[in-house]
Amino acid sequence: MVMKCEEIHEMMPDLASGSVGMTSEIGGHLAGCGACAGKLEEFRQTMALLDEWQAPEPSPYFDVRLQARLREEIAKPQAGWLAWFRRPALAAALTVLMGVGVGLFFSKNRGFYKPNSDEIAKVEPQTQSEPGTAVSDLQALEKNHDLYSDFDLLDDLEVQHDVQANP
Amino acid sequence: MEPDVLMASLGPRPAGTLQPALAGAESCTDAEVMLRVKRGDQSAFDFLVRKYRRPLVSFMYRMARNTAAAEDLAQEVFLRVYRSRQTYEASAKFTTWMYRIATNLAVNHARDTRKERPEVTVSLDEPDAETGTTMDVADGTITAEEALVRRERMAAIRGKVEALPERQRLAVIMHKYQQMDYKQIADVLKLSESATKSLLFRAYETLREQLKEFV
Repeated sequence: MVMKCEEIHEMMPDLASGSVGMTSEIGGHLAGCGACAGKLEEFRQTMALLDEWQAPEPSPYFDVRLQARLREEIAKPQAGWLAWFRRPALAAALTVLMGVGVGLFFSKNRGFYKPNSDEIAKVEPQTQSEPGTAVSDLQALEKNHDLYSDFDLLDDLEVQHDVQANP
Repeated sequence: MEPDVLMASLGPRPAGTLQPALAGAESCTDAEVMLRVKRGDQSAFDFLVRKYRRPLVSFMYRMARNTAAAEDLAQEVFLRVYRSRQTYEASAKFTTWMYRIATNLAVNHARDTRKERPEVTVSLDEPDAETGTTMDVADGTITAEEALVRRERMAAIRGKVEALPERQRLAVIMHKYQQMDYKQIADVLKLSESATKSLLFRAYETLREQLKEFV
C-alpha cells in the first residue's frame, strides 16, 4: 500500500464525482483497504443523491429586470467629492471638528475670554508707549486718575470761582 | 465613454434583450472581456451576463431560500461587477472575483433571512420550486406517493446542505454544483488548497452520514 488513507480521503470528493480519474496507485490502495473502498462507494451514492437537487433556469424576466436595473445605475448621477459628506460617520466627525474649531476660535479671539490679573501684569510692560505720544498721554491720565479727580473737586469750590475771577 | 454612450447602447434594444455576440470574445479570457467593459464596451458586459447568468442564478438559488431572491441576488452581482469596472484589475481571475462578490452577497442575505421560512414544501398543490409547475399525479408516470417521497428527498437534501456550517456549505455548492476545482474554491474562500480539501471532505462526510436513509 503506497498511498495512505488520509490521502485517499482528501481525494474522495473528486473521486466520487468523477472529476479525478482512478490511477493505479489509488486502485491499489482501494483494493487493499476495505474501509476506504466502502467509504468511496457511499460517497458516490451521496453525490448521486445531491445531483437530484436541480436549480431552475433564470426566468424570462431576469434579463428585463437586469437591463432596467442597469439603466437606473447608469442614469444615477456620478458620485463626486460631495458623496463623502453623505457618509454619516464622516459627517458626524466633521461636525464635531468644526464645532471644536469654532469654539476655540471664539474663546481665544473674541470677548468670551477674560484674562486674569497675572496675564494683564505680564502684558502691561510690553505695551508701555513712547513718552510724548498720544497713547502715553492717555496712559498718564489713566495712572493719575485719582489726582485729576481731586482737581475736579477743587474746581467745584466757590472760593475757586473768586480766584478764577480775580486772579 | 461612459454613461452616455452606454445609455445609447442600451436604448434602442428591445427591453430585456442582450446583444447577440461579442466580436473576438471566443479567443479572450474573461479578464480581457472585463477590461473591455472597463473601457466602456457595453457588448462586453452583455457577453459576461449571458455567460454567467445561469451559473450565478443556480449558485444563488442554492444559497438563498427562494427563486425570486436568487434572481435578485444574481442581478445584484452583475450590478456590482458593473459598478466596479473602473477599479477592476486583471490580476485576479474574473470568476474568482465574481464569485467572491456573489459569496459575500449570499452570506449576508442568508444571515439577514435566517429566521424566514425556507421555500421547501411538501405539497402536491403548490408549484415545484425547481420547475415552477404543479406535479401532475394523474398522468400515470408518477404516483402521489412517489411524488411525496421525491419531495421529501429534495427537502432533506436542501435541508442538510443548508444546515452545514457556512464555509462547508459554500465549498460544497461551488464544488458539487458549480464544478469549481479546489484552487478556485480556495481563492474565493481565501483558504489554502489543503484546508479547502479537508473542509470539503468534512462536509461530504457529514452529508453522507445524514443522507444515508435516502440513498
